[in-house]
Amino acid sequence: MSVQDKARRIIWIRRFVQTLVLVFFLVILAANRPADGVAPTAPVTIFFDLNPLVMVSTWLASHSLEGISLLGLLTLAVTLVFGRVFCGWFCPFGTLHNAVASLRKQFRKVVPRVEMFSRWQRAKYFIFLALLVMTSAGAQWIGVLDPFSLLYRSISLTILPALDVGVSAVANGVYLTDPHLGSLHLRDLTEPVYRWWQERVTATELRVFSGTGVVFLVFVTALVLNLVRNRFWCRYLCPLGGMLGLIAARPLLRLTSDPEACNSCQKCTLACPAAAQPEKPGEWLASECFGCWNCVGSCNNQGLDFQWTLPLQKTSSGSVDIGKRRALASVAAGVAGLSMMRITPAAQGKTFNPALIRPPGARAEYDFLQRCVKCGLCMQTCPSGGLQPTWAEAGLEGLWSPMLVPAIGWCEFECHACGQVCPTEAIKPLPLAEKKKVKIGLAVIDTTRCLPYAYGRECIVCEEHCPVPDKAITFEMREAMQRDGSVRLLKFPRVDPVRCTGCGICETKCPFQDLAGIRVVSAGEDRHPDNQPMLAGGDPYGDPNSDSNGNANEESNGDSYGY
Amino acid sequence: MPDPTRRDFLKTSALVGGGLLAAESLALREAALASATPPAMSIARWDEAALANSDLSDVAVKLTQTAIESLGGMGRFVNKGDTVWVKPNIGWNRRPELAANTNPDVVAAVVRMCRDAGAKTVKVGDHPCHPARQAYRNSGIAKAVEEAGGKMVYLDKKRFKEMTIDGQHLKKWPLYVEIIEADLVINVPILKHHGLSKASMAMKNYMGIIGGNRGSWHQNLDACLADITQFMKPRISLLDAVRVLTDHGPQGGDPADVDVRGIVAASTDIVALDALGAELLGHDSQAIGNIGVAAARGLGTPDYRSLDPVEKTIS
Repeated sequence: MSVQDKARRIIWIRRFVQTLVLVFFLVILAANRPADGVAPTAPVTIFFDLNPLVMVSTWLASHSLEGISLLGLLTLAVTLVFGRVFCGWFCPFGTLHNAVASLRKQFRKVVPRVEMFSRWQRAKYFIFLALLVMTSAGAQWIGVLDPFSLLYRSISLTILPALDVGVSAVANGVYLTDPHLGSLHLRDLTEPVYRWWQERVTATELRVFSGTGVVFLVFVTALVLNLVRNRFWCRYLCPLGGMLGLIAARPLLRLTSDPEACNSCQKCTLACPAAAQPEKPGEWLASECFGCWNCVGSCNNQGLDFQWTLPLQKTSSGSVDIGKRRALASVAAGVAGLSMMRITPAAQGKTFNPALIRPPGARAEYDFLQRCVKCGLCMQTCPSGGLQPTWAEAGLEGLWSPMLVPAIGWCEFECHACGQVCPTEAIKPLPLAEKKKVKIGLAVIDTTRCLPYAYGRECIVCEEHCPVPDKAITFEMREAMQRDGSVRLLKFPRVDPVRCTGCGICETKCPFQDLAGIRVVSAGEDRHPDNQPMLAGGDPYGDPNSDSNGNANEESNGDSYGY
Repeated sequence: MPDPTRRDFLKTSALVGGGLLAAESLALREAALASATPPAMSIARWDEAALANSDLSDVAVKLTQTAIESLGGMGRFVNKGDTVWVKPNIGWNRRPELAANTNPDVVAAVVRMCRDAGAKTVKVGDHPCHPARQAYRNSGIAKAVEEAGGKMVYLDKKRFKEMTIDGQHLKKWPLYVEIIEADLVINVPILKHHGLSKASMAMKNYMGIIGGNRGSWHQNLDACLADITQFMKPRISLLDAVRVLTDHGPQGGDPADVDVRGIVAASTDIVALDALGAELLGHDSQAIGNIGVAAARGLGTPDYRSLDPVEKTIS
């Protein structure tokens, strides 16, 4: 079997592997749904666990290995041996880029364009270095550009909801209008499909996320850039590609070329998605190469092959010259970026955004931002749909990190899924009993809107939804004057700051839909000692025998929370 | 004589089974004819002394069966081939022991009886306050119903349709099409405390079939509940008081608020049923606003004893 035949066979295996991984990625993504209120059992974080960029940056940012998967080491080991095969064989985002690039070839008979190595491809190393500098000072911004975070966030927060809007619109439209021919009802066809979609894919009511236009735009731009250069993202921008490229400078498996066989036909250059210079004998760029075998398969003269080399042997290949000055410039850029993010009042703890309500178990803001990779898993799994990506609420540093928006959905009392699926433990995986006691904020009543206060009307909706067994909303009976001058005795709600956990269901369910008469603010959140309006130590006027949660010290109370 | 073939065997068993069924329904019909008007209400109680040592699941099933049978059996309400919607209270993501949702064994027993009475499809669903999937699961109702041959239905926010209620307060309101289209809706609430109406029972349970801004109903809850009840024209309702939530309702959450009472009642008169429930919670039925309003509209009688309920105590 000739080298070319062998390569062609390997290419087909690679395509198969790529497809498999991409499908697996989507299946795993669909598995991260709030099916029935328990955290998903599927290994939903596996892609992030394998991601060495997430591993190293989280470690550097948090100065701790706590809660970090070390599976990323496996990827690093593979890269040391085989080069950037992670990009060429595994990365689902890379596979998507491949797909877009080949679609371009299929549908538009474009003139083949010889894409030579461009020095701009070094950008990804600079991006990686700059992000790493920021990271080591605690600003984990990797997630914005990490390919897995980007892909996951884009699909779960934009593509999937868009599909869901479409699917449910069609299914509900057909259901309600019921078009039929005799006894043949179209709904008999659409209903089973819709049921499958809801049970297996979304497993929840239709949900949408705010401010995701930019998320979508970044995703689409990254894909469209394939029209400019094949796998533009992977070649020029990807920080994970940059990291692996630096490690892959001297892999054990290297491309060898036979100068005698080369007739300068440039078929290999055309076939190379990475512009790794297979056409220049002795100048192949190991750091750029995805290990895809396209070049070997394209050479009719059998002039190329991948061969084992002794470790650390001097390369007979070219190398990407990053340059000390440019590396230094990236470091400076990282420092500049970091300071820009940190010179805000909020970052310096001078102000607190009342809307920045973090999920239960979220670490203190600094620690949280050091770990959150903005992947979107927690938002996707939140059963009420209340976890939303931030835009400006957490500053640029916290872009697309999760916050609870009670106007949209609340933190479900019997649920702790967000902490269970967080790949970096930015949200700690608290046991359910513990999570129920976490304060993520505090409810405040707006007496200019609350129905009994402002309009003298009866309403107990916030109290009835308050999930704390002994109720964090209590009533005070007060007289309210009616239009005819009569007086009606009404229940006026009041929030008990000791019991309120800030779950936000009162705000979600308040009859006022635009701006609720009771709203949750971040004040009082456990994770922040400086954001506390209330005197610590529980109820100042209450029973001295009750604990700081306002519970009388009885066995039964422990049980009521802790089942 | 040759050995009976499988086909013969099936034929014979079908005949025998059919005969038994016919005999049973005949007996029921005779019983129904004997008392000129069938009973309008039944109350099944578990022997209080035996309650502590009984398996509550067993208690719930037997009480439900007794209550329905005392009313003349499910065949009185369900016709062969019917689509029945059983409407329990599954409002909350709470486990059965906390008595925030209808007892799953009660619901399953109702489903089974509907199936036995020849219902083609028995759908079970509610419009919960908490996420439906979680509430269906943690209430234990999803599992119990599926084992009983019923079908759990998740209500779809987009499938409510504005309907003409023409009530005293409500003129129009979005209701769930699939529920309204069912041949029979069986209202199966749990008896529990409620912060506004004091008690949440059958009429209050109708809030789980409506869409729109449900919270706004509380501004005139009694009239709204009477309006929806009038619109629904209930033929049978069944009150689960196996476990009763006595405080912090309608959601509860503290086991200390739960009282095991071991009672299931059924009635064709929803107002009477709710009046019984009010009494069980220690209220004069006059103290429950929606009972008074519904009675004034002629939707039923708050004096449930006047219906001469069939009362049975079993163990």
